[in-house]
Amino acid sequence: MKTALLLIVFALAAPAQQNFDFSKLDKLGAKAKGSTNITLDGAMLKLAAGFLGDDSDKDSIQALVKNLKGIYIRSYEFEKPGLYSKADLAPLRAYVKSLQWSKIVDVKDEKETTEIYALALPNDRLGGLAIISAEPAEFTVVFINGTLNASDIDKLSGNLGIPNLPKR
Amino acid sequence: MNLENELREALRREAAPEGFADRVLAKTRGAGPMWRRPVVLAVAAALVMTVAIPSEVARYRRREQRRAIEARDQLIQALAITRVQLRHAKEQIRRNTRHTL
Repeated sequence: MKTALLLIVFALAAPAQQNFDFSKLDKLGAKAKGSTNITLDGAMLKLAAGFLGDDSDKDSIQALVKNLKGIYIRSYEFEKPGLYSKADLAPLRAYVKSLQWSKIVDVKDEKETTEIYALALPNDRLGGLAIISAEPAEFTVVFINGTLNASDIDKLSGNLGIPNLPKR
Repeated sequence: MNLENELREALRREAAPEGFADRVLAKTRGAGPMWRRPVVLAVAAALVMTVAIPSEVARYRRREQRRAIEARDQLIQALAITRVQLRHAKEQIRRNTRHTL
């Protein structure tokens, strides 16, 4: 009986663990002076990839997003330090850890920290990528769910025809 | 005997009310305005549908196109932010490594 109950609990918990509730971070947006919220699930990614037109990097971008299940970005800039705390990002860190993703980069400067988590798969592939970059008055979270090639990361940090964003 | 009388009473010939035949004939002639006839109504409905359906389809396509453009712009922005963050991490690592060397 106990085993059956435990199985039911695990069965219910498993799907809940599949997605992080980004609305937890969205609440912080109310205090931010600038914010970027991007939520692209599988269907939206397909829609977007099919509408790249005659972009010269269309094929590369389509190949990059082909096996992705979702891209989630939350970037908030606050008026002054102290309007968000490290604890606000703890649930995301805990979630990424629960997915068994490894922390492949952990850089701490005087004021800023950058963490990169990834799930390594065979054949130079990644099962997902998360970037948490935090400064006293701003933070950016990038969460990419799905399979991508390690070379795609190189391409991303290269150019891939993606326009430059103005430096903040 | 009683039953016989009752039957005779029930089955006796009775003249139709006055004007009955005319009323029946008028109804069978399909009296009423032309536009209320089923065939005319069906043709009208078909015409309305041939005009309404394509415009609804066009409106749906325009809506989907807008959604796709919005999604594409978000995708490009998401990839750009990811790139910036990756470059930033690289730079931070480089900076930190230089400090420790």
